Amino acid sequence: MSKGRVHKPKNLLMILMLSPYLLLLFFFGVLPLIMAIFNVPSKSPSNPNGGWHVFKIVLKDFRLVPAMWHVLGFMALFVPLMILFVVAMSLMLDVNSAPWKKWVRLAYIVPACVSGSVAVLLWYVLLEPTLSPFKAVMKWFGIKQATQIWQTSNLTYILVFMAFFALAGQWILIQFGSLQSISTEVLEAARVDGCTQFQLATKIKLPLIRKYVIYMGVLVFAGGLQIFVEPQLLNSSVYHGIAQQWSFDQLSYSLAFDNGNFGEASALSLMLLVPSLIGALLVIFKTDMFEDVNFKSPKKLAKEAKKREVAAA
Amino acid sequence: MSIDFEKQTQVAAETPRKKRRKVGIGHYAVNGWLIFWAIFSVIPMLWLILAPSKTDRQVTYKNPLSFASFHGYVQAWKNLQSFNSGVLAHWALNSITYTAAIVVFASVTASLAGFVISASRIRFKKAFLISTLIMMLVPPVALVIPLFIEMNRVNLVDNPLSVILISSLYPFGAFLSYIYYSNTIPPEIYESARLDGCSDFGLYTKIAFPLSHPLLALLAFFAFVGNWGNYFMPYIMLPSPEHYTLPVGLGALFFSTPAINPGNGATSVPILKPEIALAGILVAVPVMIVFLISQKRLIRGMLAGSIKE
Repeated sequence: MSKGRVHKPKNLLMILMLSPYLLLLFFFGVLPLIMAIFNVPSKSPSNPNGGWHVFKIVLKDFRLVPAMWHVLGFMALFVPLMILFVVAMSLMLDVNSAPWKKWVRLAYIVPACVSGSVAVLLWYVLLEPTLSPFKAVMKWFGIKQATQIWQTSNLTYILVFMAFFALAGQWILIQFGSLQSISTEVLEAARVDGCTQFQLATKIKLPLIRKYVIYMGVLVFAGGLQIFVEPQLLNSSVYHGIAQQWSFDQLSYSLAFDNGNFGEASALSLMLLVPSLIGALLVIFKTDMFEDVNFKSPKKLAKEAKKREVAAA
Repeated sequence: MSIDFEKQTQVAAETPRKKRRKVGIGHYAVNGWLIFWAIFSVIPMLWLILAPSKTDRQVTYKNPLSFASFHGYVQAWKNLQSFNSGVLAHWALNSITYTAAIVVFASVTASLAGFVISASRIRFKKAFLISTLIMMLVPPVALVIPLFIEMNRVNLVDNPLSVILISSLYPFGAFLSYIYYSNTIPPEIYESARLDGCSDFGLYTKIAFPLSHPLLALLAFFAFVGNWGNYFMPYIMLPSPEHYTLPVGLGALFFSTPAINPGNGATSVPILKPEIALAGILVAVPVMIVFLISQKRLIRGMLAGSIKE
């Protein structure tokens, strides 16, 4: 009893210190999900009597299938391109440590500063034959007018390049950082055994950074699925109508803010959340990315410590 | 043994040299490609920085990567200032205020949370860590519509508090803090401080906080980079122009001026390509400076302590 009395106020202070974060986690992580679930069966013009069959209504929406093809096409190009390019570049950077590579790494981080509206501005310029710093290259390819590039049919490729250009650099540096964690003894031993640089990269380094590559893959996949800002800005501000409800998130936004149909918008948001959640759970429980995180409860830890003590005795 | 060792070191010393000779062309090709990609990475930013030095006509007809004059920046700034009675300065101030509030609130709450989880024996540690990791891996965009519904219920839509509060949830920061405190402060230190009569709050203020400067710098860095250029959340939550941030304001300049789309019609003051580029610089350059200064922090942070230093 007395122990309990001593511990309670101590834990209370700890819980008080934790509470600002816990409140944020509850109000902006958990509660919106609960509210979205409750919002799904609400009455709307497309679902006048309300009810959970709104999921079916969303699935039958004529804009969903085109959005799905757009996003799937985008992901099919973007995710493998990112993974292959980033891994190849970081392995190339890691071949030797010349002093000039420091400047190269600095340059790679620059595109990461450009996101959202600035990214749209820059890509408008890059792909506009009269303005582009690459106008000579475009001329060589016979591109004289922006309309030759800015078409709905080309949008997948344009958005892949936009997302790839913005994200590749910072991921190259992150994977390069993970390569730096490989012990020099391991690499030296492989070299002594006659490993070529290519064998060293593919047979030693790559398997050792596998978990970081998976981590990147999941984050890139989850982020790509939720593409919104670039097609939305292009559609509303630069080339009107080029990307009308092009992605899932744009459709969800349009359902909520153009049609005022928050039931359908919530249903679509929840459906999109599922793959991201599965990805997150896979990384947490099926990879060793967070192996150092101690998920065990204090009780279990105490039991294990006791067992160890007994075994040692 | 000593002969073997000598042979081995000789082989080790010679092998890279031999390999280098063999893969000479490949080596140059790899280095050439690395340099090419570095140049390609910098060119768009270079255009952005140089464009306001020119007039709108020069932007089209002069070399895209040429510099015209410093007067161009002054003129573009003046034109931007006179757009809608200096609304751009107001957007810049909004960006600074919201981001500063988010950086402080998010860093403090995340640091406290990480400390509590590493130093205490509270029961819901597992649930806390799993929910934090889930929140960390789920992209924030996924929750925007549910968050809008919630904010609408409590009448916080079009109130900057909505963006500040939502963005202050910083699961990545909490996780980073947990890893940092677990790796830097052994539990024995807390135990002995407790025996000396230190309260739990004292453990944070007297032991953890003085050792937290590198962590707090890291937390502030990621909170700044993630929120300064954020477009989606303020765009959805703050529809009134007086609450816009710089990135949302830049988007508004796209569709309210003829700078990018001549079909939008003329404005009373010339907001053309140099002015738009200068507005873009205001959004991108602060992040670039922070990035360039702290690229090592980015790498360590993104791997969230899973690499042992």
